[in-house]
Amino acid sequence: MSGWDNIRSSTRSQQGRSHSLNQREPSRTVTLGRVQPQAPAFRTIYCNDRDANFAHRYRGNSVSTTKYNFFTFLPKGLYEQFRRVANLYFLMVSILSATPYSPVHPVTNVVPLSLVLLVSLIKEAFEDWKRFQNDMAINSTPVDVLQDQRWESIPWKKLQVGDIIRVKQDGFFPADMLLLASTNADGVCYIETANLDGETNLKIRKALERTWDYVTPEKACEFKGEVQCEQPNNSLYTFTGNLVIDNQTLPLSPNQILLRGCSLKNTEFVVGVVIFTGHETKVMMNSMNVPSKRSTLERKLDKLILTLFGTLFTMCLIGAIGSGVFIDRKYYFLGLSKSVEDQFNPNRRFLVVLLTMLTLLTLYSTIIPISLYVSIEMVKFIQSTQFINKDLNMYHAETDTPALARTSNLNEELGQVEYIFSDKTGTLTRNLMEFFKCTIGGEIYGTGMTEIERGVAERKGIKVQEVPTSINSVREKGFNFDDVRLMRGAWRNEPNPDACKEFFRCLAICHTVLPEGDESPEKIKYQAASPDEAALVLAAKHFGFFFYRRTPTMIYVRESHVERMGKIQDVSYEILNVLEFNSTRKRQSVVCRYPDGRLVLYCKGADTVIYERLVGGSDDLKKVTREHLEKFGSAGLRTLCLAYKDLAPDVYESWNEKFIQAKSSLRDRERKLDEVAELIEKDLILIGATAIEDKLQEGVPDCIETLSRAGIKMWVLTGDKMETAINIAYACNLLNNEMKQFIISSETDAIREVEERGDQVEIARFIKEEVKKQLKKCLDEAQQYFHSVSGPKLALIIDGKCLMYALDPSLRIMLLNLSLNCSSVVCCRVSPLQKAQVTSLVKKGARKITLSIGDGANDVSMIQAAHIGVGISGLEGMQAVMASDFAIAQFRFLKDLLLVHGRWSYIRLCKVVTYFFYKNLTFTLTQFWFTFYTGFSGQRFYDDWFQSLYNVIFTALPVIIVGLFDKDVSSSLSKRYPELYKEGIKNMFFKWRVVAIWAFFAVYQSLVFYYFVTVSSSTSQGSSGKMFGLWDVSTMAFTCVVVTVNLRLIMICNSITRWHYISVGGSIVAWFLFIFLYSGIMTPYDRQENIFWVIYVLMSTFYFYITLLLVPVAALLGDFLYLGVQRWFFPYDYQIVQEIHKDEADDSGRTDLLGIDNQLTPDEARSYALSQLPRELSKHTGFAFDSPGYESFFASQLGVYAPQKAWDVARRASMRSKPKPKPNKIN
Amino acid sequence: MTDTDRGTQRDRNSAFYLFTQQNLPACKPVLTPEWVFMTFLFIGFIFIPVGLVTLRASHSVVEIVERYDIGCVPEPFRINKVSYIQDDSIPKNCSLSFKVPKYMKAPIYIYYQLDNYYQNHRRYVKSRSDKQLLHGQNQHGISSCQPVEVNNDRPIIPCGLIAWSLFNDTFTFIRNRAELKVNRKNIAWKSDREHKFGKNVYPFNFQNGTLIGGGKLNPRIPLSDQEDLIVWMRTSALPSFRKLYGRIEKDLDVDDVVVVHLMNNYNTYSFGGKKKLVLSTTSWLGGKNDFLGLAYVFIGSSSVTIAVVFTLLHLLSHRH
Repeated sequence: MSGWDNIRSSTRSQQGRSHSLNQREPSRTVTLGRVQPQAPAFRTIYCNDRDANFAHRYRGNSVSTTKYNFFTFLPKGLYEQFRRVANLYFLMVSILSATPYSPVHPVTNVVPLSLVLLVSLIKEAFEDWKRFQNDMAINSTPVDVLQDQRWESIPWKKLQVGDIIRVKQDGFFPADMLLLASTNADGVCYIETANLDGETNLKIRKALERTWDYVTPEKACEFKGEVQCEQPNNSLYTFTGNLVIDNQTLPLSPNQILLRGCSLKNTEFVVGVVIFTGHETKVMMNSMNVPSKRSTLERKLDKLILTLFGTLFTMCLIGAIGSGVFIDRKYYFLGLSKSVEDQFNPNRRFLVVLLTMLTLLTLYSTIIPISLYVSIEMVKFIQSTQFINKDLNMYHAETDTPALARTSNLNEELGQVEYIFSDKTGTLTRNLMEFFKCTIGGEIYGTGMTEIERGVAERKGIKVQEVPTSINSVREKGFNFDDVRLMRGAWRNEPNPDACKEFFRCLAICHTVLPEGDESPEKIKYQAASPDEAALVLAAKHFGFFFYRRTPTMIYVRESHVERMGKIQDVSYEILNVLEFNSTRKRQSVVCRYPDGRLVLYCKGADTVIYERLVGGSDDLKKVTREHLEKFGSAGLRTLCLAYKDLAPDVYESWNEKFIQAKSSLRDRERKLDEVAELIEKDLILIGATAIEDKLQEGVPDCIETLSRAGIKMWVLTGDKMETAINIAYACNLLNNEMKQFIISSETDAIREVEERGDQVEIARFIKEEVKKQLKKCLDEAQQYFHSVSGPKLALIIDGKCLMYALDPSLRIMLLNLSLNCSSVVCCRVSPLQKAQVTSLVKKGARKITLSIGDGANDVSMIQAAHIGVGISGLEGMQAVMASDFAIAQFRFLKDLLLVHGRWSYIRLCKVVTYFFYKNLTFTLTQFWFTFYTGFSGQRFYDDWFQSLYNVIFTALPVIIVGLFDKDVSSSLSKRYPELYKEGIKNMFFKWRVVAIWAFFAVYQSLVFYYFVTVSSSTSQGSSGKMFGLWDVSTMAFTCVVVTVNLRLIMICNSITRWHYISVGGSIVAWFLFIFLYSGIMTPYDRQENIFWVIYVLMSTFYFYITLLLVPVAALLGDFLYLGVQRWFFPYDYQIVQEIHKDEADDSGRTDLLGIDNQLTPDEARSYALSQLPRELSKHTGFAFDSPGYESFFASQLGVYAPQKAWDVARRASMRSKPKPKPNKIN
Repeated sequence: MTDTDRGTQRDRNSAFYLFTQQNLPACKPVLTPEWVFMTFLFIGFIFIPVGLVTLRASHSVVEIVERYDIGCVPEPFRINKVSYIQDDSIPKNCSLSFKVPKYMKAPIYIYYQLDNYYQNHRRYVKSRSDKQLLHGQNQHGISSCQPVEVNNDRPIIPCGLIAWSLFNDTFTFIRNRAELKVNRKNIAWKSDREHKFGKNVYPFNFQNGTLIGGGKLNPRIPLSDQEDLIVWMRTSALPSFRKLYGRIEKDLDVDDVVVVHLMNNYNTYSFGGKKKLVLSTTSWLGGKNDFLGLAYVFIGSSSVTIAVVFTLLHLLSHRH
């Protein structure tokens, strides 16, 4: 519930992006003095009256998520394909090759192009077909609609606006609808919104009291009302509208709206009116195209392709000028008479040059590797779907979550990450909140000691004494508290039992938790919007204030030991108002009425906001509590202050009127509600504070250590307090005492002093100055250390307020310089937007590859800002996962993702790209050398079909196999020697130097191919004395090229599987099969018989075999020598590791590792198999302070686009999820 | 071990499991110095013998090359050779004589060699009609023969620049006053004769134009028997090429003096091309060409050298 409402503020940010026609601000549509026709700002729906609604022509409920339809598939699909430069280039060349200027038959260029297009289009069609089938299935799902006083079953697509429908338990809502009535008492129903936001906790929707009765068809058909509501828009969490029944206007809120994509739970059925259908539903309005990220390697690849274009142009120019010089009438046998065509006209040499340019352009087109992109796509797709998603090393058995590559674009980027930006909560720490300590009335309770405290104590050299836990201490997930002074009613004997009582009641009453399951303390489960809240209510239970039932107006608490020891009584509190948590308020209040009529407001929230609103006096308590809060904070605990206030009935009544008014307003409802809440949340009395422990994730310190050895720098960006952040950083090995720490904090006396004076302009100026000074000082110092060789490692700690100023354009450079010299950086108290700013500072400013990892909605902007976004899937909501490129269950899996998959993918992709470059260059250059001997006429060396099949058949498959299977060192070695990763960071395998070496050998080889073959064939061959012609020589040369190029591939492999042999052998065999057939068959129809019988003529001579042995060896000798010398005298790191471990059995390490680390029991294996089925990933709920609207809130504040990957929302909403274990029913 | 355990075990060894876990069995060649050394040595050991054998074959071939394009132009005409060759009134006969340096075993192949003659020029290569050569009279399929496709509105057979520029020098060989018989049959590849040139296609309207390119064809002999044409039409790869003219089926002894009477008809003077007459025997490998042998020996010996140098370097510098 809270999560749902928290998001209202996101409307503003989403409005701007909305593609819908509706405009709330009509003034915006007035342009250039002309008033645009516009849709009315409100839509009116006549319930249960199809004829009346017909006039409005609302859209139907059928939904299509396909990209294409039958008619648009070809044009649209082709258009998409030709947006690639290489494809477009080949299209142009194909057209050119149909002109007389072309030396080649169009087939040369058309065949590879069409094969590439075919593969791409088949892929597109397949994907779209799956979408289409999915749409069909959804559109034809039956739903009960009211017709003639009966429920009739019709498919979803026939549904219309204004229809009254019935949805049964566990059913999905077919459209956005207004809840009229439910079988539950009080018109309440429960829904699950997992398809929208991934949260699986149940949310309550409540019908207006006026419509509760319309449950039966007989009654429902009498319902005649009018819904006036906003036009369709894409804001999932807002709704403004009124229901008009019998001239009575009732305000509607999101509480009455059931959105398409959600499902009904724990309710027999509900009846509702359809208000938005099909593409106008909120979930569908959220669908948009996701801008896809491109990897750095691919961008560099573009540069390589451009270079190739440059080379191509140069080659053509050389050839063209040569042809202009060459052409002469003296070569009478060329028939260059007066009327010769322009291309060979010696009188018009300039034209000859121009036209020969065109000729050569088509001839040398093979230099551009047309099938490169499609091959890379295939390789990456398999890498991500088969390797990353199915890696057992990244499978988390407890939460049954495998890794998920949500994009296949960025695999190789994972191998080049230099900066990791990590969220703290839920990423480094488990999002498992345990009630750990508390302070009540100035007294600290709770004997536990956190890991961090222990770590601090150890660093200080204090011996840690294990406090023995009392024998009857209670331990439950979420409750890790032990203090005999409070348990079992012992609090009655404490100095301030009244404060304790208020404390516990506050915990039991002030929350938005839903109880589930049996109403007994052992079996009850709490459904909460944040784990903190659940932990607090759980704590209240253990303290003897057992919250067991909630109705919309009441909260029932079973209180023990209140009046006297041992007495248990059920008390019901009437909940009058709930002032919900949101990120500006940072607090939550509940106004409740005791059974005896006492009116109390309970409030809990962040210490800063609570302290601002405390009543004067009792400064001691405040001071002591603040000290305690700081102590908790430095122990890494999460704190909340609790306060209460007694209300006088008349004060409350007058306030409540304002509240109701605010609640029913149609405009600015959120702001008004906040203002009204402000009126009553003042003069509070402090009770105490809670401290919740946030545990570190498994394996985090080890993983961070490994990653830092891999040369990856880790930044922690967190919303926590500085002390907490520093301590977590210590606990995770990010900081240690050997490091030189630079701390830039806004919590200095000077700043505080200025702040107290309250002049905003002055504060800003002062802090900026201060930050500048600090930065300068740190930078100077850092530079000193930087120059000295053995200086300590540096660390920077900065808080959000200072960061705000440090990110100012004038200081940004300084900040960047400083932070790049630091091996770890901790930013605390940062907003989501600042997280994104810091990320892009490094990404754009330092041009380093960045990775952001986070789990909550507040990390979304950071995840999207970085080159690679990684979401933690498992505990919290889906927001981060939905925005991410990769999702893993545990932070420690980052090690596998980066060091193993990333590194491999990077190396493989580099090999694929450079090899493609090499093989096409080599091939084209042989053609180029030939040009010099043909009078620069552009005569082709090879037969058309040779040239067209070279890329797509004879050399296509092996390189894909390398892209999939090549493995320099095993995965266990990759993790054992994280330093290997540095080669990726330095981009060692795709430098211009590497490309240049390939190019050099391509030139060398092409010279060998051309000259060896032509020179050796200048005399007669075989004992018959007959001479070879052009086509014999070129077929010989081509055979050598195919064989050599394929053998060269074997030489770049670090591991050779059976598939390598099959593909390489297969490619060579394919060439021979092809040429046997091709030169053996002569059809009477149009074909030049150049190639006829050529291979048989060739193979009848010894020359063929002797050359076939000589040329590949001669060509590869240079490469082989280079490889040997390089490996032995200038080895890469991986090569050293290979040699150290070369005697070890293949991958034995890895199997062992599997055996120890990840041996799956059969059950686990089964659950892993199940987990591979399509399903939802999230199990738990969002965190109150990072609730899903938070992000967009910040964004909207600063006018920044903060998307949620809404495409996924729609995708998932239109997907039918597997039935999963149901939560216990609410009785 | 329970059944399920064994089941998992089996799953774990299944190809797909190994594939997704990237654990396929593989051999991991590491290019250690030993390997490099061995490979180079191996190449050396294979290549040097092969090279020697190849060289030997090449050396066993006796080849006589006589350039005649300048020598056959009478002194007065040497200033303007083009006008000489284009003047039909001047007789073009000429004779050469040479001494056989070594015993030449029959068959002795006679080639003519042309230099700077771009038979592989794009305009030249495509100026033919394979269909017409095979099937004869065809009005439509000869557009590719430009610019020599029709004359007096009638198609030319064989059409195209290649055929039009047919080489037409002729040679007769005399030893000891007796004419050496030159066999001019079976000088073209069999596949060309049988599948590319029609048995029922006769030259027609050939060399009737205003510009005469080269040789004429006997219109009574079908194309499939016009072996000169067939040889000529298998266009060469490079601008310098040899083409087979015929065979002498008698052995030539050392110091035999051979006199060649030739008709120096073909114009290479316009573009400065050379004409040579080549007499050559063959080995199992073909004509005299040291290139293959030398390349083999060179690569073989440099491999051995590299192997040695590499080993020395390896021994001198200690890595790790």
